[in-house]
Amino acid sequence: MSKSLIALAPTPTFDALAYRRAAFDTVGEALDYAALGEKGMNFHDARADLVRAYPYAELAADARVRALRLLADGVRPGDRVALIAETGADFAAAFFAAIYAGAYPVPLPLPTSFGGREAYVEQIATQLRSCEPKLVLSPEGLFPMVEQAAAGLCPAHDWTPYFAVPSPVTDLPEAVKTDIAYLQYSSGSTRFPHGVAVTHEALLANLAGHAYCMEAGDGDRVVSWLPWYHDMGLVGCMLAPLANQISVDYLATEDFARRPLSWLTLISRNKDATLSYSPTFGYDICARRISASIDVKERFDLSRWRVAGNGADMIRPEVMQAFVDVFDAAGFKASAFLPSYGLAEATLAVSIMPLGEGIVSDLIDERTLSGSGGGRTDKRQPTRFRAIVNCGKAVPGLTIEIRSEDGVIVPDRKIGRVFVRGLGVMAGYFRDEEATRAALSPDGWLDTGDMGYLSAGSIFIVGRAKDMIIINGKNHWPQDIEWAIEQLPGFKAGDIAAFAITTPSGEEAPAVLVQCRTTNVDERAVLREAIRSKVRAITGMACVVELVPPRTLPKTSSGKLSRSKARSQYLSGEIQPFDVAA
Amino acid sequence: MTDRAGIYARIIELIQPLNSKSIVLTENTSFAGDLEMDSLTVMDLVASMEDEWDIVMPLNMLPDLETIGQVADAVMRLVTK
Repeated sequence: MSKSLIALAPTPTFDALAYRRAAFDTVGEALDYAALGEKGMNFHDARADLVRAYPYAELAADARVRALRLLADGVRPGDRVALIAETGADFAAAFFAAIYAGAYPVPLPLPTSFGGREAYVEQIATQLRSCEPKLVLSPEGLFPMVEQAAAGLCPAHDWTPYFAVPSPVTDLPEAVKTDIAYLQYSSGSTRFPHGVAVTHEALLANLAGHAYCMEAGDGDRVVSWLPWYHDMGLVGCMLAPLANQISVDYLATEDFARRPLSWLTLISRNKDATLSYSPTFGYDICARRISASIDVKERFDLSRWRVAGNGADMIRPEVMQAFVDVFDAAGFKASAFLPSYGLAEATLAVSIMPLGEGIVSDLIDERTLSGSGGGRTDKRQPTRFRAIVNCGKAVPGLTIEIRSEDGVIVPDRKIGRVFVRGLGVMAGYFRDEEATRAALSPDGWLDTGDMGYLSAGSIFIVGRAKDMIIINGKNHWPQDIEWAIEQLPGFKAGDIAAFAITTPSGEEAPAVLVQCRTTNVDERAVLREAIRSKVRAITGMACVVELVPPRTLPKTSSGKLSRSKARSQYLSGEIQPFDVAA
Repeated sequence: MTDRAGIYARIIELIQPLNSKSIVLTENTSFAGDLEMDSLTVMDLVASMEDEWDIVMPLNMLPDLETIGQVADAVMRLVTK
């Protein structure tokens, strides 16, 4: 009885261990150091009650024992160990067991909604085929689906009985800083995944860089609900606090989705300074959840929220303002907002705003952003502006360049493609030479695929040149939508172009143009419905579907489908969709 | 009301405000295909069902629940457990 009461005290915010800002050769060494103190991870239930405190010391001890089990099972340095990234002590221990065994942990996603069993199993199977792991480990509840996904690919185990098997004690391999630390699958499409390979050196440099920008250290506490299969959750909210010896309060992502205000309860409860990150939609659903019956001032105290980080999707200033309007009564300070820009291919952070400046934005004419340039053609039409957020300056160790289509560096405030070089850039895509060469030049410049401009050293991101579509912080790929439609009889690649459109509220929505030969308007309506439900069934997205005449979709000079041209021709009215019976 | 019919009726009431296309709800109505619910709306509904019957619907249950009838069965199992 008394034991469980002691176990349920959260790990402290302060301890006697001297602060070291991610200055380690490997992430295993970072955990060894954190384990000398009293800090650690704290897992909460959906109502924000503490269910498990997991000091870094206990994590390190568990991970070392589990590493022996992996070695006894034949796992060798460089092998991959795939892990279902459930927020909890089991995943953390298995992740670091792989690290201590010299293997690459590969976090895999969780299911997120009603239905879609087949799609989830297929997604896991595709990622397993890409990383070819020695084995895949999962929590008990998801094991039947994971076992199905792994059939014929690799052994699958429920991690609890797997790690309960005792193993002989032996020396653990020694990693060096240039070794790969982990593979991250958050950036590829579901159908055609790319595993981002990050070295220990790149990881720790990036962790030190953003801790420096946030002045993170003793006296801070991290609060997070972000998923561990995403770079901001894994790198920003699990590895960063650990490598900087900071305690963390976790809420599982699915619990946040159900009860988002529990996030703010955890922040309110922290007597010291809080660092907590979220994509735009996290702030949005909290502000929307507050009704007249909730006394914000009484229920929350957000006055010690020192860094309210923004990132992972396009930052929408009006949503952030709505959050400030609602939570000002709870002491929330707009200056706590900390815009940032990053991507898994650069470990996590590329740029961070100076502390305390909050959200600063430029108003840019929509026509400049869409590339149609020129002044206002029709003076009677109002000019539509979009607010572009200042995402701050490059983190130490990274350099940003903006280049034109022909690779020339453009002057300040000119929009171009964003390139990044320096410590923190990935080693490459795992076993994918072609994709690596396309993204990473021999002299180390990473093509982020994003469009933006620099202004006095600060980066402003205006959109993506890559065709990724981000909805509610989740990345979707047009290839997956197009692939879904190709599964219908009579459609082939090249007939279909999917891309993101921006709704008037600034949110992204997926749209797809499909070439069709049907002349009957009723048949077109049936066809459009069939396409909509196929996309829905395979990708889970509600997509705008437009049928267009044959041979209207534009090609690039090399004969490949150009999604970006199709998008701009559709938006400008150059491509006219067919009428469809209502 | 914790019989199957009562649970089903209450689930229909909980879904109705989220039924933006005002489609007819039946046992076989699917959340993704017919109601076109995104994952955030689904989790919102899960939270209201958990509050209604004081249950916890584990995440690993969700991929097998395609229709309203299957959700009613799942709630029934959790309530009577």
